[in-house]
Amino acid sequence: MNKKILSSGLIALVVFSLALAACAPAAAPAAEPTKAPEAAAAFAPMKVEAPNCDYGGEFKSIEAVDENTVKFTLCYSDPGFPSKVAFSAFGIQDKDYMDANAGDSVAMSEKPNGTGPYRLVEWKKGDSIIFEANPDYWGEKAKVKNLVFRWSDQSAQRYLELNSGTVDGIDNPAPEDIVKLKEDKNFTVYDRSPMNIFYIGFNNKIAPFDNEKVRQAFAQAIDRKRIVEQYYPEGSTVAENFVPDLFNPGFSKDIKWYSYDKDAAKKLLEDAGFDFNQEIKLSFRNVVRGYLPSPDKVAQELQGQLAEIGVKVKLNEMESATFIDATAAGQEGFYLLGWSADYPDSTNFYDYHFANENNKQFGALFPDIAEPIKAAGKISDTAERQKLYDKVNELLKTHVPMIPVAHGGSATVFKAKVEGAHASPLTNEIFAVMNNGADQLVWMQNGEPASLWCSDETDGETLRGCEAMYDSLLAYKVGGVEVEPSLAEKYTSNADATEYVFNLRKGVKFTNGAALDANDVVSSFAAQWDAKSPNHKGRTGTFEYFGSFFGSFLNAPEKSAE
Amino acid sequence: MAPKESKKKGQYERQSPARESFRRFLRHRSAQVGLGILLVLVLIAIFAPLLAPYNPTQILKNEKRRDVPCIHLLGCPADKNEHIMGVDGNSRDLFSRVLYGSRLSLQIGLITISFAILIGGLIGAFAGYVGGWVDNLLMRLMDVLMAFPSLLLAIAIVTVLGTGLINALLAIGIVSIPRFARLVRASVLSTKELDYVAASRALGASPIRLLFQRILPNSITPLIVQGTLGIATAILDAAALSFLGLGAEPPRPEWGLMLGEEKNSVFNAPHLVFFPGIAIMLTVLSFNLVGDGLRDALDPRLRGKPVA
Repeated sequence: MNKKILSSGLIALVVFSLALAACAPAAAPAAEPTKAPEAAAAFAPMKVEAPNCDYGGEFKSIEAVDENTVKFTLCYSDPGFPSKVAFSAFGIQDKDYMDANAGDSVAMSEKPNGTGPYRLVEWKKGDSIIFEANPDYWGEKAKVKNLVFRWSDQSAQRYLELNSGTVDGIDNPAPEDIVKLKEDKNFTVYDRSPMNIFYIGFNNKIAPFDNEKVRQAFAQAIDRKRIVEQYYPEGSTVAENFVPDLFNPGFSKDIKWYSYDKDAAKKLLEDAGFDFNQEIKLSFRNVVRGYLPSPDKVAQELQGQLAEIGVKVKLNEMESATFIDATAAGQEGFYLLGWSADYPDSTNFYDYHFANENNKQFGALFPDIAEPIKAAGKISDTAERQKLYDKVNELLKTHVPMIPVAHGGSATVFKAKVEGAHASPLTNEIFAVMNNGADQLVWMQNGEPASLWCSDETDGETLRGCEAMYDSLLAYKVGGVEVEPSLAEKYTSNADATEYVFNLRKGVKFTNGAALDANDVVSSFAAQWDAKSPNHKGRTGTFEYFGSFFGSFLNAPEKSAE
Repeated sequence: MAPKESKKKGQYERQSPARESFRRFLRHRSAQVGLGILLVLVLIAIFAPLLAPYNPTQILKNEKRRDVPCIHLLGCPADKNEHIMGVDGNSRDLFSRVLYGSRLSLQIGLITISFAILIGGLIGAFAGYVGGWVDNLLMRLMDVLMAFPSLLLAIAIVTVLGTGLINALLAIGIVSIPRFARLVRASVLSTKELDYVAASRALGASPIRLLFQRILPNSITPLIVQGTLGIATAILDAAALSFLGLGAEPPRPEWGLMLGEEKNSVFNAPHLVFFPGIAIMLTVLSFNLVGDGLRDALDPRLRGKPVA
């Protein structure tokens, strides 16, 4: 009898406390941002400036010239600058809203305030995100009234949902499902043009690869087409240049890599006095990357292909970090490595690899390759740059510091009736241009966004959500990498690409009603650039993309503090 | 000592213990099965180059990766090449690889256990015969080795020595030492007090002769049993190390490595893990059955009794 009372009392207590716990978080009141009355007041232009360029970053100053003009002064010339500022991590936020939230990405995700085609209705954490079309959008309004983001890390589940019709589009179908989907008339598969390169690297200081003829022979001994066909998903292409064909300037469409010819390769090796008895070490890490989906298989394939011309290869699987350090320090003679684009400009590929004294992965720099690369990084004329890159690609083929093998692809799948569906090489699909003829478009991706304000995000799953709600100064063409006007109607740069002036679009409104002005741009960039800015908070505080695009932060804390 | 003669004379039949044990072993049901499988395995290992249709490391450029098995007799179209166990993730013939794998696995088992018996036996014999602090020291050392789970210790040793088949063999050999050392020591301890040993010593036999001629032959029997069972464990350990990428390097046709390489395609291409897995199972099973049979056959207490 006593026990019964005790236990029922206990159960009641548990239920009560559960109910309390469930109700508690909902009670937190969200602070309503005050509508900014700034338009009426006189415009006080902002300017953030570095005292000098010794701090190691790209920006010298960011300045609001007038209400609708922003000027960036750079420490060195950068023809890739427009590509960089178009990136989704550099979306523009209302200055007052940012100040009110002290730059906290998590707080700003509660009530996202952007200028984009969609705005947030509700983020059901762990389940879905619902957006609605922004009626005040400055450009062409979104075609479908509601947009829903869902996610699952299981490719089988994404496929299942698409098949049963509960979602309109999915990301990254599994390679084995793609075949079925391509045959099915109800769906359309959109290959995502690859933005990466998988290459086989040589170090020209380590024997036998100090001999250019040996490197040229290896370049002809490897059947790259077979590797791509056998070990890469749909949408991948055989690499002819170091950069994918989307890169213009950068990709030389008339320059093709050596064709596969093992007899010629063997003869070339014999001419070069290659010792066929030696065992060559091929180093790699067994880490799956977009540019190399099955490293151990490809390594064995190469071993087999080289065995056909009598070259003995020993596979050397290394731990990931050790491998990266060893290649960068120039300790590996023959290795598998790749590169994924951070921003769609050729400088991101060529400069880091072939014109960078600190990078010893290919041994000593080839001065005749490094020189045109450096020259191309200092001019903004497209045709002139292309000429220099043509020269680079020709010389890469002669010197063979690496063998370009593949650009690894992926895909999206949409119901066939979805108009305007596409896959973006930068993984920022734009849903505003899609129309499925209903008032709701459901998209299923791999993971849940980490936040809904992306200045401090790196994950593509997160950035895609921000693309729908925010705009950057410039934008990438839908499904492409070319830069288009966005919040800035036009921009001009000086001859040596160290000064950029952006003219902002007029009449753009944020979700909270504030009008866009030049100070919003300055403050959005300054929040990332200036480590002492009160808004330099983000989500983790690392601002990784800013660092990799523009170098050091202004007022960065001393390194020794780590 | 002429059994044939005594047979003719119709007198009682006398058999040497070895012969009787052998007869008992052959009559042992599970030993028969184990011995049968083992015989087939050994034959496959010896004649692998004749049996295998392809070179186990050759990449077949015209075959589809992870293609399903194709057997002409079972209705596979004749214009496709025959691959009894299918094609692996690098377009190699799986059947040839499994056949060649038997060579590696048998070698691994025999080499590691021979190594372990040799080293472990010497340590055990020395410790048991000399006794005192030497015995204490050596046996505590063995206790320390035994305190680790064997696979973990093997992984630790491989990590220190570097990956590779030879190092994996060494690691497994080292891990197996204590078992044999204890076994030999125990039997030396009990034998060395027996009268015939004392007699031999009284006749002036040297310690070496005593140990190797009089005492050690007595521990052969348990060593054979323990060794056979040990081979099974060694093969399993080697497969586990290779599965983890610490043993045989690709493209060697090692069963554990073949499992490890294709573990992710277990749903798409189950045959790629099924056949190497079955091969490991059969090999380990055969050694275990043979070991069991040997134990029963060599047990003197069961002598003259019917076979189970």
